[in-house]
Amino acid sequence: MGVAGRPDVTCTLEKAGQELRSILLNSAEEMDRVGRDFEDLAHRMDVILNLAAEVIGCVEDERVSSILSKVQTLGTEAKKFIQERLLASGGILEIVTTEAKSLAHLSQLTRSQRSIARETQMLSVLTNIEVARLGDSGVGFEYLAHQLDDFSQSVAKDTKELTSNTDKRKVEIEETRRMLGIEEPRMREEFAQIEADLGDALAVVDHGLTELSGTPARFRSCVEEISGQIAGVVAAVQANDITRQQLEHVCEALRLISDEIRQVGGCGPEAGNSQSRISAGLAIQVYQLKSVRATVDDWVSQIRNCLGGILKISSSEVERIGPVVLDQERGLAQQLSRIEAIEQACQASAAKVEETFAALSTLMQLVSEHLEKSRAVRDRLQVLTFNSIIEASHLGTQADAILEISQSIKRISAMWSEMTEQSGKAKEEILGLVEQAKRKIDACSEAGRGGLQEAQAETRAGLENLRAAAVFASKQATEIEDRISELQARIATTGSAGDRLDACFAHIDTVLGEVEESRNQFESDSAGALGSREQAEVEAKLSPFYTTEIEREVMRAALCGAPLPEAQQIMAGNDVELF
Amino acid sequence: MKQILTVDDSSSIRQMVSFTLTKADYQVAEAVDGRDGLAKAGQQKFDLIITDLNMPNMDGIQMIAALRKLPGYGFTPILMLTTESQSEKKDEGRKAGATGWIVKPFKADQLIAVLQKLVK
Repeated sequence: MGVAGRPDVTCTLEKAGQELRSILLNSAEEMDRVGRDFEDLAHRMDVILNLAAEVIGCVEDERVSSILSKVQTLGTEAKKFIQERLLASGGILEIVTTEAKSLAHLSQLTRSQRSIARETQMLSVLTNIEVARLGDSGVGFEYLAHQLDDFSQSVAKDTKELTSNTDKRKVEIEETRRMLGIEEPRMREEFAQIEADLGDALAVVDHGLTELSGTPARFRSCVEEISGQIAGVVAAVQANDITRQQLEHVCEALRLISDEIRQVGGCGPEAGNSQSRISAGLAIQVYQLKSVRATVDDWVSQIRNCLGGILKISSSEVERIGPVVLDQERGLAQQLSRIEAIEQACQASAAKVEETFAALSTLMQLVSEHLEKSRAVRDRLQVLTFNSIIEASHLGTQADAILEISQSIKRISAMWSEMTEQSGKAKEEILGLVEQAKRKIDACSEAGRGGLQEAQAETRAGLENLRAAAVFASKQATEIEDRISELQARIATTGSAGDRLDACFAHIDTVLGEVEESRNQFESDSAGALGSREQAEVEAKLSPFYTTEIEREVMRAALCGAPLPEAQQIMAGNDVELF
Repeated sequence: MKQILTVDDSSSIRQMVSFTLTKADYQVAEAVDGRDGLAKAGQQKFDLIITDLNMPNMDGIQMIAALRKLPGYGFTPILMLTTESQSEKKDEGRKAGATGWIVKPFKADQLIAVLQKLVK
């Protein structure tokens, strides 16, 4: 029996149309909700991305990235400084060792002068005895006795002071020598250590900077991925407009087909053709509904992917930046402090050496004064010797003893003269060495220190920047983490959008079943496949409804019995065609 | 800030256009159909209009034709954003005064690039 004109089929189709209109209404509301939720999520994402971009900007800032070159300069300057110090210390130690010897010699000479003074004192006593023995004829020698006494007292006083000062300086020089002797190997050790540590610190900075330099790229790729997801949702929401129209057109087509079913009656070839057209029209609607279902599945999956992608966003990349920068800062600050400590120790040691040499200068002043006096004494002794020999010669054998004393004075005078000469040489030698040492200290203080101090100041400023960057990055990371938590909490409430849309469009399957069943009934009663003329008639009748390319493609596939065209690639979107 | 008017009977499409353009620093106003769009364009001068084709009350092509007669809208760029891709429809749009045609869904970055070119 034919199905044409059967009210149950028209009822089924009308019911299917009503169900589709209900799906349209519900899906429109649901899509609006998805759009609003998504807009809110996208806004939150923007806030997070902006915060992260600020951190990346801070890491990419030249003030942070230039720390490597600053540390390299600091390392070079520190090594140069230590090397110069080592060289200078070696030279100074050599000078100080020579000085210690010269000072010992000087000290020895001074002690010899003291023994001469004691001998002169004895000569003064002997002369006084002789003066007393000679009576009136010995009056002329009273002056000699007085002069010898005066000389011995003066020399005893001077040499005592000088010996005490020289001994003191000897101790100081020895202390300096000991200090330099200890310092030099320590500095060599420090130098080797600092070279290794700076190498390690540079490697840490280099590694940190490499790691940090990768972060912007990773961040950009994350941003691009999110942008892609966002573009996908924008396209998915737009695609709903296409499916909406498709469903509206199916409703309209079902209404037209129902009208045609009502008009078909009787038997014969015309009725058979009508049934074939109705069957073809229903087949097109089945295809359209299947196409809608496939498209909906596609963009619902896109929405799910986007929400899933947002859920996967982690602040861990950005969170790492602060600690990495801070680690660098700590490591470098430690190295800087160490270099500063070495520099201070070097300065203290240089001050100590300078102090020693300054004290030596005072001693040399005393030595000079003493030498002046010694020369005056030498001259006086020579005059005394000369006068006493002449006077003793006048007295003849009576003054043999005095003559003997005069000969002794002559011998002492020669010895004194020799010692004065030697003392002068020792003094000149010491003064020369002091000058040499001073020049060495001054040279290494000025040259190496200036560059090092500049590098230290640059590094200090660089570390300040690193500290600021680390604090900023940590602060931003905390804020990003909070925002991500908020975002993910929001997704937890809106994340069921895909399920809701699925539920909403699941009714299409019911409608599809109903339309397919109706179509099957007509197919069995129809006159068979449509001829090209009938196909053209159906296409002409339905074409005005199909305003989208996909609908037209689906219609053509349905009429030819071809497979369903693939759903539009909604991720891609379409270009703007300018007229 | 440049003013853009988006005319579409689908609120979700208006929402997406608005979202995309606002992110690119455009100020976006919305109209629900051609009649509403025409009224809004009469109240305020827009730098560019994006309109759907099929809408109740007044469709996109009718609206463009009417807009072109409004003072100040003779050369304002107007883009059609529609699901329609038939060349006859595009011809109709061009004759009415449309500047360009976009088949939904649009490419967000490309739409912004075109807007930047058209609205200087």
